Amino acid sequence: MSTDRQNDYLWDRSGEQDDEVARLEALLGTLRHDAPFVAPDSVDARRQSLARDLPGASRASTEPGGAAGDSRWQARAARVLYAGAAVAAVLVLMAVGAVAWVTYVQPRIGWSVESVAGAPVVDGRVVDGSARLGLGRWLTTDAGSRARLAVWQIGEVDVEPNTRVQLVESRGREHRMSLVQGTIHARIWAPPKFFYVNTPAAVAVDLGCAYTLQVQPDGSGLVRVTHGWVGFEHGGREAFIPEGAMCATRKGIGPGTPYFEDAPAVYADALAILDFGGAGDPRRSLSLEAVLSQARSRDALTLWHLLQRGTREERERVYDRMRVLAAPPAGVRRAAVLAGDRRAIDLWWNSLGLDSTTWWRLWKKDW
Amino acid sequence: MEIAAGAGLAASGRFGPEHASEDAVLVRQAGAGDEVAFARLYDRYGRMVHGLLLARVGRNDVDDLVQDVFLAAWRRLGALRDPAAFGGWLATIARNRATDFQRRHQGCEELPDHLAAPEAASTRLEARAVLAVIRGLPPAYRETLVLRLVEGLTGPEIAGQTGLTAASVRVNLYRGMKLLREKLGT
Repeated sequence: MSTDRQNDYLWDRSGEQDDEVARLEALLGTLRHDAPFVAPDSVDARRQSLARDLPGASRASTEPGGAAGDSRWQARAARVLYAGAAVAAVLVLMAVGAVAWVTYVQPRIGWSVESVAGAPVVDGRVVDGSARLGLGRWLTTDAGSRARLAVWQIGEVDVEPNTRVQLVESRGREHRMSLVQGTIHARIWAPPKFFYVNTPAAVAVDLGCAYTLQVQPDGSGLVRVTHGWVGFEHGGREAFIPEGAMCATRKGIGPGTPYFEDAPAVYADALAILDFGGAGDPRRSLSLEAVLSQARSRDALTLWHLLQRGTREERERVYDRMRVLAAPPAGVRRAAVLAGDRRAIDLWWNSLGLDSTTWWRLWKKDW
Repeated sequence: MEIAAGAGLAASGRFGPEHASEDAVLVRQAGAGDEVAFARLYDRYGRMVHGLLLARVGRNDVDDLVQDVFLAAWRRLGALRDPAAFGGWLATIARNRATDFQRRHQGCEELPDHLAAPEAASTRLEARAVLAVIRGLPPAYRETLVLRLVEGLTGPEIAGQTGLTAASVRVNLYRGMKLLREKLGT
């Protein structure tokens, strides 16, 4: 029980130290605010740019005393209009895109680069307005620069500050870039397996989607899918990441286990230990327990990937939990799944409502 | 332009009613377009805004939302009738912004940071688990505890910055801590 002097400590750190409060201060202080001030003009420019990319970008008023009611109705109306327009736009784009990618079989070298902010650099030359990124050439942005790449006829890539990318290939059905550090946002409207991003830790394969890909200086990466699907692969280790999910990757190891953004908060750290902590990490069992105990039906996405990773004992635990959350379809046996039987594992996936394995396995050859 | 944070009064651990008049000066200067004055307001109130947001939305979205809140404040400074009430006004913007964000991202809890070293994972795991427990408390307790335990503000500083009365903060702090101890079993 806390004393008055300990209550003083809780109030203003006077009086006798309350050890539990002090412990929580030290622990939670790791989450404390430490972001530097950014001038409003810089934030404004960035927000306006981002708003162009974000669905439902129209925002309700956040200012106290503002016309919040009107703004909310306007925002709702805008969202409805936006959704309708987006559906129509997607249909049109799909039709146009299908024709375009069949028609454009001629190799075409180089992508156009547009300077969005600051002074992006292509091979040592500052991009003033627009430029061309040729094969093997590098595009670099500093802390104040952003750029937009036109990926042939099939999409575009926004290059965020402090990013370095290289155009590796652009012909026929292969359009490939390398991201060695920084962040890109890709929007691709071609069929699956036209657009690739090499990173130090894995290759991201576009399966018809929009996503954000981030690479840290140590080569580790993170992909967050906002529409469609992305495949992540390294050395035969692969992950399939649907809309609303994300997946980390580590240099020398490959992709981790994907999970939905709204998964329980402990997922990321627990999965990081399972994916990258090594087979002998003493925290594995506890981490797996955290994942399994908090998994929802929707998290079968994560468990399905874990079925194919880890020790036999770990996979048995995963199987037993996944069976409860999403019962395997008829004909899928425990022994077959644990033995790594591809047909059994795919049948189970197909029952999860996450699209069939057929189409993405069709497109995933020779990543 | 970026200006490093940390030299403000909030960082020095002192924040009292007397600073309201200083705020009023800074608010008037910022309202006239002085970014340095606005940067000082950011130094003073950054942790408060961060804490209010963190009490409601996922950690990985908070930094962007902090910028959103200060950007909204920058645009609306002219509409603030009482410059000395800047803290409470800013807190309201932050709460509204969090509500807007939650409305658009219903179901989302956290956008985790994968990229840190695995060795740090245990501490972060525990910190986030405790934060999750705090987020499960009633809003008034949740907000006060995050400001005290995460952002490191004292009770008087919380009252001074949010515009709440010291008595309310004190009650929320003690009751919230009592509930938190029960939840944590300590």
